[in-house]
Amino acid sequence: MKELIPTRQGIALVALFTIGNSFIYGMAPHAGRDLWLSFLLAAVIALPLITIYARLHSLTYGQTLSEALTQLFGKWPSRAVALGYSLFAWRLACLVVGDLTSFVQTTSLTQTPQIVVAAGFIILALWIVKYGTEVLARWSSIMIVIVVGIILGTLVLMWSEVSFEAFLPIMYDGFKPVILGAFQVLDFPLLEPVIFFWVLDALPEKKSSYKVFLIGSLMATSFLMIIATISLSVLGADKYVSYYFPIFMATARIDVANFLTRMELVVGVTIALSGFLKIAVCVLVASKALAHALGFKDYRFLVTPVALSIVPGSQWFVQTIMGIVESGTKIASPSDVFMQVVVPLLLWITAEIRISKQGENKAGKPNSI
Amino acid sequence: MVGVIIFGFVLIGGIELYCWPQRPWKEVLAYLLLLGLAAALSVTIYLVPDLPVPEPLAFLAKLIMRLWQGGGK
Repeated sequence: MKELIPTRQGIALVALFTIGNSFIYGMAPHAGRDLWLSFLLAAVIALPLITIYARLHSLTYGQTLSEALTQLFGKWPSRAVALGYSLFAWRLACLVVGDLTSFVQTTSLTQTPQIVVAAGFIILALWIVKYGTEVLARWSSIMIVIVVGIILGTLVLMWSEVSFEAFLPIMYDGFKPVILGAFQVLDFPLLEPVIFFWVLDALPEKKSSYKVFLIGSLMATSFLMIIATISLSVLGADKYVSYYFPIFMATARIDVANFLTRMELVVGVTIALSGFLKIAVCVLVASKALAHALGFKDYRFLVTPVALSIVPGSQWFVQTIMGIVESGTKIASPSDVFMQVVVPLLLWITAEIRISKQGENKAGKPNSI
Repeated sequence: MVGVIIFGFVLIGGIELYCWPQRPWKEVLAYLLLLGLAAALSVTIYLVPDLPVPEPLAFLAKLIMRLWQGGGK
């Protein structure tokens, strides 16, 4: 069954997913005071790849990815691709749950076992995924206003602490740290919307996929860049790199007339909201792709075992807060590059060749697979 | 504790299967298999907390590191 998502809700879904849990970390730490350059470079590199994601989605318009993959590659190779994306989404969900539980334990619930917090997130994600993509998209279209509003409001309150001298001198350490920072931001989170192939079954128009992917990603990139640069300008480059959660420490400095303080708690709530959406999308993709890999049309009956397996998985992939920050701020890992760059490129090239062949055979027919 | 984990998974599986309006055998089999895998992973992580994480493409990372000394560190 295809689930229709309006363009506006699709944009909100992609933007909130990309924002996700990423802004709790000091993004692009390798670049230090030049992180804004890393963000700009990452955005320039990400743009063609995200356009390819959108183009691929547009080429398969009117079909679910399962149907399109089967037509492109045949039955078994398409199932192998689906299994790969299912494992990728499952691993991503495990990492996000691990991040959020560690964040909660470090900052507030120090005596609560991580597994309790993880189970809470997973039960909620399981619930919303069972209701389907449409509910998820509606929820994100409401929540993005709250998340972005709260964070931007908090950043405005931080304005008196901002010092733009923290960005000087520009590129003192050369261009290499900027490139490393850009690759880190690309890997996590700018190219993670690749899994949205499996989420956006039906959009209102053929061109909607471009709006959804490009506007959603650009919104998220700008938002993340603003958060990172303001956090750095408040804390200074050295502290920004050394803190586990710089945005949290930067907002802790807000003090409006000894009245408005402890604003970091509000940031904590927004991290929980956007992180929850990311977990839910990952559970949805892991279940949908697995259903295709196993040859089932419906995915909902697989949601419970997939979601429950994420709780032990979150304790498996990363076990310490240092490990979590390392995994969040690492430079592109091979498996991520493979699933975010290599596979989409192969899918896109194959789809273009197929369509051009069909165009030669049937002139005048609509050019989709 | 292992017994509690397994009991939890059996309970969830039993209740959910009971709530299904129809139970096609293929879907039931896939569901039980995946639930079994989730339970096995939970028990394994509990018994072996330092279980190594499989990295099928780790050799590529090593190769890139060698090609670009210091890259990725």
